[in-house]
Amino acid sequence: MRQAYWTFGVVLVAWWGVQALSLPKKAPLVAGPDTLLSEVYEELGAEVPNRPNYALEGVSAEAGRSIVVDGKTVSPSGEVTGRQSKHFVCTSCHNIEREDPDLTVSDPQARLMYVQGKGLPFLQGTTLYGAINRTSFYNGDYQKKYGDLVRPARNDIREAIQLCAIECSQGRPLEDWEIESVMAYFWTIGFKIEDLGLSESEMQGVNDALAGKGDQAAAATLLQSKYLSGSPASFVDPPPDRKAGYEELVGNPENGKVVYDLSCMHCHDKQRYSMFNLDNSKYSFQFLKRHFNRYTRYSVYQVSRYGTSPMAGKRSYMPNYTFEKLSHQQMEDLKAYIFEMAD
Amino acid sequence: MNHITLTLVVVVVSLTGLFGQNYAYQTFKDRRVINTQSVETLPARTMDIRIAHRFGDFAGRNGGEPTFFGLEFAEDVAIGAEYGITDNLMVGFHRSKGAGVVPNGPSGLRQLWTLNGKYRVLRQTDLVPITITLSGMTTFSSAQQVEVQPDDAPSIIQNFPEFGHRFAHNVQLLIARKFSPAFSLQIIPSYTHRNLVAFNDENGIFSMGVATRVQISKVFGIVADATFPFSDFRTSDNNFYPAIGIGLEMETGGHVFQVNFTNATAIMETDYIPYTTSNWLEGQYRLGFTISRQFRL
Repeated sequence: MRQAYWTFGVVLVAWWGVQALSLPKKAPLVAGPDTLLSEVYEELGAEVPNRPNYALEGVSAEAGRSIVVDGKTVSPSGEVTGRQSKHFVCTSCHNIEREDPDLTVSDPQARLMYVQGKGLPFLQGTTLYGAINRTSFYNGDYQKKYGDLVRPARNDIREAIQLCAIECSQGRPLEDWEIESVMAYFWTIGFKIEDLGLSESEMQGVNDALAGKGDQAAAATLLQSKYLSGSPASFVDPPPDRKAGYEELVGNPENGKVVYDLSCMHCHDKQRYSMFNLDNSKYSFQFLKRHFNRYTRYSVYQVSRYGTSPMAGKRSYMPNYTFEKLSHQQMEDLKAYIFEMAD
Repeated sequence: MNHITLTLVVVVVSLTGLFGQNYAYQTFKDRRVINTQSVETLPARTMDIRIAHRFGDFAGRNGGEPTFFGLEFAEDVAIGAEYGITDNLMVGFHRSKGAGVVPNGPSGLRQLWTLNGKYRVLRQTDLVPITITLSGMTTFSSAQQVEVQPDDAPSIIQNFPEFGHRFAHNVQLLIARKFSPAFSLQIIPSYTHRNLVAFNDENGIFSMGVATRVQISKVFGIVADATFPFSDFRTSDNNFYPAIGIGLEMETGGHVFQVNFTNATAIMETDYIPYTTSNWLEGQYRLGFTISRQFRL
């Protein structure tokens, strides 16, 4: 009898072992060009702090996209939410596509040429594409503008989104499910492996690490080295001598036209986001020329470098251009174009 | 027949959005030229607070230095708000004093509450040469009923025998073209109906208006308009004159400020089209202004 028990036990354990070995296992992720970087990080065991929380009711990438593009969406109860801001939507100041040819540097001229090729505007804000992969926000001199408000936002994308909603867009705070929906949308527009420009050997190394045959931490570090973890932001002044311009740079009107078309006109054409209308008529160029070198709120030097302020009854304002978003040379190019068109 | 009408309506309404975004922007800077409406409608979710004022005669028998060129009088004052429901549809509500008067006769309606609306049917683009907007307004007089003797009752309209007599209406078809950034032109076929008029007057009046805008800089523009009633009764022999205005418009972001001169004493279409009895040639024109301030809601 005792022997029978032993036999039964051995057979049971053997059967369990066979079953365990034959269970289908999750295949290791093989990173391809379209694979989201965040998914690779997760597979590599790296920390992914920006994963959206789908546990909240109503969270979806579609809702997040509506908030980003339209400023409103459908709430979990099925009603259309109020507009987040009366004045702006996220895409007023941010692209939602890649805008830098090299993700490791912030070069405004390279960006200008790149967005021109893609038919995108050239904006003050950093693109939201890849935002989910960045780890620092409101960097550099943004503390000068928002003071202590940037502290919680510096290392927390959710706080950064909320700060942008309230201060930058002069709108209402987003609810938790709305923020998570924006996060869910950001997740879908995170960097893809193809964006990072990995060499064949680097790609192989990453896939080896994903397959458990390489150093996963090193692979994650390699991937992180392929893009900026945050956008640098340097606030700069107009030139001391506005008539002379920046460092006696000579403006290129052709490049200035691109800046005017992709930047100024994005907000001011037909008063899209501004009460101040601009067009391609002589009137607009003559007006801008007349004020360019002055110390007035219509001076391009003034409003580009310092921005304008939201005021009671006129909350829409113009954000400033940091040096990384509009170089001194580009400013002089814009000036050259405006002066040429005004004459 | 109903199908044809419905099809026409659908086609016309569809034309508004058919031709892409390359449309003529700001054929006029404001929803009004001086006296006349313009083809412009407010952008969606935008409120426009408006204040308009017409002073007394600048010159002539009742003007000049004794009245400080009319500034001591307020012929008509209007304050109102307009709101853009969509980019092509707007409504407005205004309160005005009312200034119309029949020569040597009774005054027109006073204490006017006006509800107006506009719908842009067609927008000028590279392919469409003109912008067309439909405009309509209804004016209600809240003036106290005047008790009159039977003999003079026909000549005094404020006795309001019926409630409906407090109303006057106007519909317009606004047709405009922006020829260049510097020049816009508009014509305005119009029909005005007053429910109660003085003896010998006419209830319905067809009229034709013309308006223009000449841009002189980014901020400044010159505007002018004129409205001509088609009427055997409204002639200069009977001391009726076309309402003619000329003004200087200044635009800064969100604000439009206009200083004008016009012989019309009244501001609303239901008032100035039937009742303009002042003559430019006799110095009976007046200084006026309009302030418009837009808010995004």
